[in-house]
Amino acid sequence: MRSLQPNLTVNMNNKNRRLDNMNGKGEEKRINRRKFFRTGAQTGLLIGLGGIATLAARKAGSNEYVWQLDPTKCTQCGRCATSCIKTPSAVKCVHVYAMCGYCDLCGGYFLPDTKTLNTGAENQLCPTKAIKRTFIEDPFFEYTIDEEVCIGCGKCVKGCGAFGNGSLQLQVRQDRCDNCNECSIARNCPSDAYSRIPVDQPYLLKGFGQKNLDIK
Amino acid sequence: MKQQLIIITALILLIAGIGYLVIDLFYSESGASDNPYAYGLNELRKSDSSLIDYQEIQHFPAGLSEVYGIAADPANRIYVTGANGVEIYSPGGEKISEFSFPDTAYCIAVTPDGNLLLGMVDHIEIMTPGGEILSRWKPESEASVLTSVATDGTDIFVADAGKKIVYRYDREGTLLNRIGKKDSLKGIPGFVIPSPYFDLGIGRDDELWVVNSGRHLFEAFRPDGSLISTWGKTSTGVEGFCGCCNPSNFAMLSDGSFVTSEKGIERVKVYLPSGEFKCLVAAPDQFDQGTRGIDLAVDSEERILVLDPWRNQIRIFIKKGENNDEK
Repeated sequence: MRSLQPNLTVNMNNKNRRLDNMNGKGEEKRINRRKFFRTGAQTGLLIGLGGIATLAARKAGSNEYVWQLDPTKCTQCGRCATSCIKTPSAVKCVHVYAMCGYCDLCGGYFLPDTKTLNTGAENQLCPTKAIKRTFIEDPFFEYTIDEEVCIGCGKCVKGCGAFGNGSLQLQVRQDRCDNCNECSIARNCPSDAYSRIPVDQPYLLKGFGQKNLDIK
Repeated sequence: MKQQLIIITALILLIAGIGYLVIDLFYSESGASDNPYAYGLNELRKSDSSLIDYQEIQHFPAGLSEVYGIAADPANRIYVTGANGVEIYSPGGEKISEFSFPDTAYCIAVTPDGNLLLGMVDHIEIMTPGGEILSRWKPESEASVLTSVATDGTDIFVADAGKKIVYRYDREGTLLNRIGKKDSLKGIPGFVIPSPYFDLGIGRDDELWVVNSGRHLFEAFRPDGSLISTWGKTSTGVEGFCGCCNPSNFAMLSDGSFVTSEKGIERVKVYLPSGEFKCLVAAPDQFDQGTRGIDLAVDSEERILVLDPWRNQIRIFIKKGENNDEK
């Protein structure tokens, strides 16, 4: 996390210096038009800097918490993909490998009415083909998420949850999230799944605690 | 004159365009509520009503907070287990008795001598219908997840979804052998159990039937573990099983037919002893979407007892056209 505290200190030093000037220390106290305008400008600048400092302080405070969605509340409505200010969304599908069944017929990978279980594009559920299927041993396959391609639509999460263990889950990826004060996805989330959580525990995964988080 | 006509036409087009934009922006029903990435199972949930040969004649609520297993005895009493207890109901649904225990039982079976076999979280218990423990033992592994128990009257078979194996015990809990381990020389494919739904039952010739749910197969074994036969078909159609791991549970009719339940597309079906699809007992629209773990039992009247864990109900189905007055 980026701390704004050093900048805040510099601003406060400047503020003290300017307060000294405003109090007229070392200068004569005669007020003329030039000094009036200069004082006015300095006051304006001071108010502006104070505002920036206040915002910066608030930002520094807000950075102790980050946005995250609770998979137990998530209904995979698709708005994580369409409401985020970032393109593609900072919400990604995360694979909790400890929960995965490594299924051949993976509900998160294949379209429900797939006839043949191969990696043909016509068989894949993901609209951006962000899930990679790798053969392990009969009959097990591993599924990995290409986050550069994933748009966070949750379609695979729905499919995995419908038939499987629910090892595919949506999460806000903190390295991609701008941590906006007002998250536009949270505003549009119909199931109130978004909340601010401490930055030192930035992920909420269904079925497993933080220690078991295994994101590849 | 011509110029005036052009201006009037342009104005009409402009007003029409603005009107369209206003309607589209402020009055259109579609938009924010639509999900362009919707996952569509609705088509697969539709079923042909002519395939439904059974009707629900009764349902009643279970008294346990969570229900996982159902069984019936020769007198058609209904046994339900789950969180912290067992409930015993008459064939008509009146509660006869109940008893409690500190654990959660995930499966239940009735022995020929009227006692109860219970698969708890990490151990097996044999209890009297009054709740007295007759025998109790643990499987060999801490990773065991016991999901089904059955007995042929001599031995006790226990399905372990955690270790993906079936154990055969005697009545004292002595392990006799393991069944279903992958062995290509003996033609045993090995169990693929991606989720904790791993059911077994005894066939009409005392053969052991086990659901290899990850492969959408039923597999029949002799007590010594040798494979007799398999059947099953992967399909999203009504005639097969789909998803990662189905069917989730089954029971057997007296003629050797299979009653199956599924998750993902919630439905109960009947298959002939040959494995050919016969009919639907209950269609997906008769369950709440997301229902899983629908346990089944069949009583001596061939009534199909469906344990609905989402509604916390015992639901009773009979064949359409059968007289139910005396049941």
